[in-house]
Formats: sequence, C-alpha cells, structure tokens
Amino acid sequence: MDALVVSIWIVRIAFLVLLYVFLATVARVLLRDLRAAASERAVELGRLVTIDSPGSEPKTGSVFALDTVTTLGRDVNNTIVVDDSYASGEHAALTWRGRAWFLEDLGSTNGTFVNGGTIDGVQPLGFGDEIQVGRVRFRLERSSR
Amino acid sequence: MSPPPRRPVARATLPQLGPRIARSGLILTLAFATIAAGAGYWQVLRAGELVARPDNPAVIAAARTVPRGTILDRNGATLASNRLGANDEPYRIYADRSLSGVLGYASLAFGSAGLERAYEAQLVGLLDPDPVRDLLRKFQARGADPQDLTTTLSLDLQKVAVELLGADRGAVVAIDPRTGDVLALASTPTFDANAVADPATSRVAFLALQGDPALPLLPRATQGRYVPGSVFKIVTAIAALGSGSVQAGTTFAQQPQAEVDGLLVQGFRVRDGHHPVTGDRALDFMSATEVSCNAWYALAGLETGGATLADYARRLGFEAPLPFDLPTAASQVTGNRGGPDGGFADRVELANAAYGQAETLVTPLQMALVAATVANGGVLMQPRLVTQFRGSTGVRSVEPITLRRVMDGGTAGTIRDAMVQAVEGRLGRAFTSGAAVPGVSTAGKSGTAELGGSGEPHSWFIGFAPADRPTIAIAVIVEQGGRGGERAAPLAGRFLQAYFASIE
Amino acid sequence: MTAANSLSGTVWSTLVRGVRAADARPRPRESLLLGLVAITLVVGSASLAATRTVRSLAPGNGSGAVGEGSAGTPALDLRLADPQGLVAFLAVVLAAHLLLILAGRRTDQVLLPTVALLGGISLLLMERLPAGLAGGSAGLAGTQLLWLTLSISAIAMIGTIVRGDAWLRLYKYSWAAGGIALLALTFVFGDDVNGQRLSLSVGPFSGQPSELLKVILVVFLAGYLAENRPLLEQESTRLGPIRLPPLPYLAPMAAMWAIALLVVVIQRDLGAALLFYAVFLFLLYVATARSSFVIAGSVLFVAGAGLMARLFGHVQTRIDIWLDPFADPSGAGYQVVQALEAFARGGLLGTGLGAGLPTVGGRLPIPAVHTDFPFAALGEELGLIGILAILGLYLVVIERGLRIAAAARDDFQALLATGLSLVVGVQAFIIAAGNLKLIPLTGITLPFISYGGSSLLANGVVIGLLLALSDREVRAPARPRAGGSRRRAPAASSARSG
Repeated sequence: MDALVVSIWIVRIAFLVLLYVFLATVARVLLRDLRAAASERAVELGRLVTIDSPGSEPKTGSVFALDTVTTLGRDVNNTIVVDDSYASGEHAALTWRGRAWFLEDLGSTNGTFVNGGTIDGVQPLGFGDEIQVGRVRFRLERSSR
Repeated sequence: MSPPPRRPVARATLPQLGPRIARSGLILTLAFATIAAGAGYWQVLRAGELVARPDNPAVIAAARTVPRGTILDRNGATLASNRLGANDEPYRIYADRSLSGVLGYASLAFGSAGLERAYEAQLVGLLDPDPVRDLLRKFQARGADPQDLTTTLSLDLQKVAVELLGADRGAVVAIDPRTGDVLALASTPTFDANAVADPATSRVAFLALQGDPALPLLPRATQGRYVPGSVFKIVTAIAALGSGSVQAGTTFAQQPQAEVDGLLVQGFRVRDGHHPVTGDRALDFMSATEVSCNAWYALAGLETGGATLADYARRLGFEAPLPFDLPTAASQVTGNRGGPDGGFADRVELANAAYGQAETLVTPLQMALVAATVANGGVLMQPRLVTQFRGSTGVRSVEPITLRRVMDGGTAGTIRDAMVQAVEGRLGRAFTSGAAVPGVSTAGKSGTAELGGSGEPHSWFIGFAPADRPTIAIAVIVEQGGRGGERAAPLAGRFLQAYFASIE
Repeated sequence: MTAANSLSGTVWSTLVRGVRAADARPRPRESLLLGLVAITLVVGSASLAATRTVRSLAPGNGSGAVGEGSAGTPALDLRLADPQGLVAFLAVVLAAHLLLILAGRRTDQVLLPTVALLGGISLLLMERLPAGLAGGSAGLAGTQLLWLTLSISAIAMIGTIVRGDAWLRLYKYSWAAGGIALLALTFVFGDDVNGQRLSLSVGPFSGQPSELLKVILVVFLAGYLAENRPLLEQESTRLGPIRLPPLPYLAPMAAMWAIALLVVVIQRDLGAALLFYAVFLFLLYVATARSSFVIAGSVLFVAGAGLMARLFGHVQTRIDIWLDPFADPSGAGYQVVQALEAFARGGLLGTGLGAGLPTVGGRLPIPAVHTDFPFAALGEELGLIGILAILGLYLVVIERGLRIAAAARDDFQALLATGLSLVVGVQAFIIAAGNLKLIPLTGITLPFISYGGSSLLANGVVIGLLLALSDREVRAPARPRAGGSRRRAPAASSARSG
C-alpha cells in the first residue's frame, strides 16, 4: 500500500464518516424533539361526551377531544356543530385557560346552561359538569389518558 | 336564522390528518429505500460486470497507458503480447494471422474487437477476479493489475483450420463436447491484426479492412448467419425423437412416391435431393438420415409440430445470443412472423424448415453446439474460451458450466448411430465419406444449403469423433463451397485427422 | 421600477421590524449542526484538493481508478479546493443563521443545516466538474455559489418575515391563475432547447417556470383541499360501485391540474409532469384518506403514459431506453448506460471526490452530469456509502416537513407543509430513481445539488415556507365572526326556535 494513497483515502473516508456524524446528530435532535412532544401530549386537556341529543348531529354518545379553544353552535364553522333548532349559529365557546376550563356564551338566543342553570359571562367548569346547548347535553370529562 | 345551505358537517368529527401524513412519509421512505436498494444493486451486485464493459471510459482511458495482459493458448503458447512503441506506448502483437477471427484486435486509435474487447477490463487490469483484492486495489498507487488470459484454443488446430479453408470464405468451430472448451474458432478471410494494432500502420490497415467487400472484420464463426441446409436435420431429429413424436422405426407411406414427384404440402411441392438407390422402400430414421431424405424429414417435422421443434431449438440455444465469451448472433428456426404453431407462418414453412431451408438461419458456433450436444449424450455444455485469469497477485480459474440436458441419453445414442451411418454406411458414403478418419469411428452430417438463384450452395458439415467416446465436435461451413460432401466433409475429415495426430 | 423599489422597501422594513435584537432567541441545535456542516465541507474540500494535487503530479494523467500517483511524492499536502468559494458559502449560511436567531422565532432548527450540507456538496461537485460545461468558459462553482446564496437568503428571509398565511390561503385562485399565465408565457415566448421549451428569458435572466409552478401548485391544492375537505371526504357521487367525490367540488382542482399537466406535456417536460401528478395524488390522499383515489389516479396515470407513448415518439423512446438501455449503449441508451457504469465504478466507497468521471479525449462520460446526473456523479465519487448518506439528508428534510405538517394548527397549514415536503422528496426520488434505471429517466433537477438557478431558488422558497410554518404561532386569517351584543336568554322552555 502506498502511503500517499492511503493518506488521501483517510481524508476521503473522513468526509464520508462526517456525513454520517451529521445524520446521527440530526437523529439525536429529532429523537429529543419526539420525546418532548410525547411528554407534551401527555398533558391532556379533556373531552366532551354527548349524553343526550334529539337530532342526528351530534349523535348521543359521541365523544370530542378538546383543543384549547372549542366553539359550539349550529354554524358549520364551529368546532362542534350542534344541529339543533334551539341552538344559535355561534352559541358557546369552551376555552382552556392555564389550568382550568371556562365556558362562555357567545350571545346565543336561548342561552347556555351548566348543570341546569344558565351562565352569565365566563363561567369556570370542573370535570363532570354538564353543559347544555339548545337541547343537546354534554358532559366535560377528563381524558382517559 | 335561515336554514343552512348544505348539510352541516362537523369539523371536529373529521379525522385528524396526522396518521395520513405519517403514512405518506412512510410511502416516501419506502420509495427512498428502493433507491438505496437500486444503488446497491448497480454499485455492488452488478458492479463487476458493468465496470468490465468495454465502453466504460475508465477502461478506455486505462487501455491507453497500461500494457495489456498476454493471451495464451491451452498449451501455454503465446497468442497475443505487447511491444513498446514510440513514447513508450505499448501496442499489441499477435502470434498468427489465423487468430484474427477470435482474438480480434486492440488498437489505440480504433478501439478493440473480439476477445480483446470482451475482456478489456481484465486485460488492462481494472477488474480483479478476487472481490476483496478488487476493493483493496483502491489503496495501491498502481491500481491496475493487467491479467494474463489462458484460453481453450489450440494455436496448431486454429492454423490447420484456416489453412484448410484456404482462399474460401467460411468458418470452422471445434469444441470439446465434454467441457464446452472451444479448441478452434476460425473465420476466413483472416486479417492482419498486427497491422491494425501497430500505431504506424493502424490507420491505413483499418480503413482498408473496413472497405473490404469480403468482410474480414466479420467473425463468421460467431456472428455469421447462414442457411443450414441438411445439417439442420439433426435439430429436427432431436426434436422429433426427443419429444417422442417420431420413433427410430417410423416410416411414412407417402414418402417413396414423394421421391419421384415431390411431397405436396398445402399446394407446395417439397422436392427431394436425388437418391434413387433406395427405390420404393419406405425409409426409417436411420436410413433417411443416411441418405439425407428431405421428404422423410419434412414429414417428421410436420408430425412433431412447429411448437415442439421451436422449443427444442431454443433448448439448444436458438433464438437468443449464446452465452459465450464473445458476442454471438442469434440463430433462428423461423422468420418469426408470429404464427400460432411455434412461430411458423404455415405448414409449408415448417416442412421446409425441418430439413434446413425456409427461414432457418444458424451460426457455425450454434451448429457445433448441436453436434456437441449429441456427442455429450444429450447434455449441452456452455461454450467457453477462457479458463484462467492470472494477475500479479493471484489466479482465478473458470469451471465448465452445464447449460441443460436437451434430450435423454438414449435419444442421443440413436441420433449418434444415424450420424455414424451417414459417414460410414454403405449409402451414406456417397455423401459424406470424406469426413471419415482412418481408425477412428466418426459421426456426422453434411449439408448443402441452397441459396436460390444460380450461385453455388453453402457447403456444411457437422460431426464428432470418436463416435463412442467423443472428444471433439466440429462444425464447418464453406461459403458457396458446393455440395456438403464435396467440400466441407473432406475438410472436416482432414481437420479431425490433424486433431487426433496432435493428441497422440 | 418604482414598484420594485417599494416592494423591496416593504420587504426591508418588514425584515427590520421582524428582527429586533431584544427578541433574539438562541438556536443551539442549528449552531451545532451548522458547525458540523462546516467541518464536513472543509474535509470534503481537502479531499478534492488532495486528489487534484496527486493527479497533476501523476504521469500520463490517467483516470483516477487506474492509479493516482507516483511514488515520488512523499507527504500529503493539506489544502482546500477553492477556499474563497467555500468560505463565502459558509459565511452566507452563517448570516442566515444569525438572521434567524435575531428573528427570535421558534422555527425548525434542522432544515437549514441539512439544506446547507446538500448545497455545500453541490458546490464541491460543481468545483470538481470541468469549466465550460454549462456554456461559456467559466467554472460552474461561481455561478452555483451565487444561486446558493440566493436560495439560502430566501430560506432565511421567508423564515423571518412570513408570520401569517393569509396571502397564500386567501389568494389561491390568483396564484393558480398566475402560475398558468407563467406557463402560457413560456409556451409562447420561451426558448427552445432540444425540442423542449422549458425556460423563459426576461432581459438577462432566464429561468424554468415549472420550478416555480410546483410551489404554486402546492399552495393551490392545499388551499382548495383544506377548504373543501369536509365535503370531499364525506360525500360522494355514486357511479355504480365506484364512489367518487362530489364532482362539482373536484372539478376546479382537476381542471387546474389538467391544464398544468397538459402544458407541461406540450412542453415535453416529463419530469415536472410526473412530479405534479405524484404530489397531486399524495395531497388528495392526505386530504381525503381515500385510497380509491390514489388507485384510480395511478391507473389513469399508467393509461395516460401508455397513450402518450403511442402519441409522442419521445415518450416511447424514453420508455424503450428505460426497459433496455444496453440495447443501444452508444446511441439512445448512452447516458443511462454511462450513468450506471459510473455508479458501478463507485462501488461501496467511491473513487473519492474528483477522482471519478474518467475523461476520454477530454470529454466527460455523461454530458448532462451537472443538471440531470449529479446523483450518478456522487454515486461514483462518494460510493454507495456516500449516496446513502445523501438519501438520508433528503429523508431528514421530508421528516421535518411532515412533522411540521402533523403539528400544524389547521388543515391548510398541514396540507401546505405536507405538499412542500413532498415536492422536495418526490423530485429527489424521480431523478435519483431515473439515474438508477428504476423508473424512466426524466430531465428534472436534484434539489439543492443540481446546477441551476430556478431550481435552487424555488427549493429555497419551499424550505423557507416550511420554516415559517414550523412556528406554531404563525397566524391563520381571523375567522369572520358575527358580532352583536350579548343577550340575556329566556328559560329554555320559552325559547324561540332558533
């Protein structure tokens, strides 16, 4: 083996190795991100279970995973569409603020009810509370996870 | 509030896109994995073969600076070596003119041909036969390790073959049927490969060869395609007897009358060669082969059917280039006009093809393989030219390769007996006696390929010897050499005599 | 001119507003990865320079594979090939990195280094190829460096400035119309090269509009599919046993796609047609989850390819070459055979940068190596191990893009990010697979590696948009909301029907 040729090959192979070092470092970064994302997802916000609905939308028993902001109403642009003639287009909004859920009536015609009583302004909610929009009743539940 | 214009659809109940995006990513990852697999295929699995291609620019570039390895014959005689020219640029010299059809040439200005081209990468040393050493070659300053090639050729037999062909155009192929070793692969006219290789004369010599109407640059033994005439009957016999469509004792009632006024096939009259000696007797396989009866073979071909005939021909190597060290032309049974029965257009083409006319075209190498298959008890060996690559660091030997069994040993024995009869039988002697070697039983079949028009026919012979334990199979064609028994058969006889004299 | 001035003024002021030292946020992962990129490229450059030194000393100047040295040179002389070019490129990347730090956004930190590494490899390759390959007598590396600078700048600027997607989301039809107009312009006024009308010249600039069009197509498809996803996904037109999406909703999209495809086919740019079609099918699948669409689309594609093969000779030729390039290795199949031989010469480890591509009589074995066959050149010089790493880099880009898509806040952003990553991934696949004879060869660039300004710029825009989208706080346009004072509702029993 020729010394010069071997030394050139050391440089060449070093280049190839460095390509893989880069890829390995990227993989480490990505894995760390994945783990971070997974632990973030473990902080689950909650879900809404339909306990009684006279119409077809939503169906009784259907379950909605909740984002930080969830709007309810008859309009198709709502997160949860409540196809009930007693519900308004933009009826109510559920929001996660820091560590608790809040329910807000968005100026509906017939009002929004929590555990049978109408709400005024923004009302904090606890898990297990029952919400009524039009004739449809939901229950706020802790996520199963 | 007005009724909604369309059925409301809850966005929240729509499935999330996440899983589908992940699935697309998976598909794309799989697609990239295919690329990786493809790269591995070409860069590792097929790399040796691709790097060895003569059109590889690395090979072309190397050929300009590196002295090529020498080429040796089976006894160690040098066939091709190097001489240093101006500027220390090496060029080739060849041992004998008779080698031109097989070795080809290697020229700096005009590239290479023949065996020189086929093993360019090994001869200039860009390919090491040992994969580990091939990888380590990169770390050496002098990366090229030219290899010497030991061939199966016999320089003496090669010279004899060219001498016997004389001024005629034609080819002689001699094969050891047991191993597929090619002992001689002669094509005439030959050319002076030394003049092409020598940079001083290269240009003039090469241009003259290119313009020569006798086509000396055409390696006739491997790439010349000829009408076979009666030598093709051995292929028909292999198909007919091998498939059991016809037995050795089969006779055809209409055959004796057909000798007189021809055999009518769909309105076409198959005319026979003249063999009045057999009279009204209906011939069987043995006697039909002895007298080379066209009518019997046409009927046998029709009995066998086009599909079976074409299938057996393919098993013998027809319809595709042969697996060989040199590029070969494909031999054909039909004009491939896509008929339903094995590609034959109609029964007329099939009947004529059965005795080697119609659209059949064969290379001399292919016919030598037909003879060699019968000689080897029905087993076809892959023909080969190179047995050994020898570099500075090691040797790689090439083992013989069995291609396939074409027919059972019994059928091969029956055909062998008929071919012996054709050379040595009372009636056969009239056609093929010239091929007989004194003291050695010889099997063979002559052929006279009618070309239409008024020209002389091609003269053919295929055969092998000794008939009981064959060590050599041969195919001879002399372009427009007249009847097979007159030119090709005696030539084969003299060649075989030289062969047996050389091995004693 | 004034419009251009005011536009650049707007961009500048936005940039200045977007970058305030107070907002600066460190990007440690990007810094780490960029450091690795710099080391890797310096070593690559040293490898190229060493090979060159030895070859200039070697007698006969034979090919690298033959042997590369006389025993007379004792020691390795460590220097860089084109140090100024390399330093300039690294400076541009560093500037982009600093800009992103100053912008203070939580954007992706892997995309820029990955793309910078690909661009740097491209720079080494262009430095290594002989001058005058792209016409003229200049080397390729200088021009490529200029375009890479623009591409990296596009990534950094878009990644800094773009903080909302309304300009893409709300004007999808305008974008589509603009794209088609661009293609039509090319078709009428474009420059003919080899029977293909791919490039459009405006003054001294010329470019390939199909590169820009691919970005526009993704924007349009993402906008349209996101808007109509509920209907496309849930409703269907029944046609016997086949369930089709509601036709009126699919029509504009199919039309857009058909026009793009048609014009591209007329321009004979098969690679772009294949890219558009594949991205279209992918996005349709992601938006609707109907594999029946993909299957129907693939069937249509095969049928269309068959039809085109019959109608257009050049398509049939491409397919014939693909099926058996070795049938005519010195004629039609020349480039493909030469590319495969290049891969084969490379083997596992490659020949080393600068030591491959043996020339015969001063001619490169593959004439279009800088545009259509850089993958083959890298396959030869870096070997199987090297191109596996390069494939890995593309997979990193795809992975980042799709993860950004999965984390996006709504359908439009998700589909947009998916489409943008697919455009890069599918394009890399098409040309790499074409080089390797896995699919018929089409003339399309290898993203960030091929020589050419349009491709580098368009792909820079793609990565820039991905970077912008990776910021979770990127704004979607405000949803129009019915205002009105809150009303005290009566009891449910006496409620009016709503």
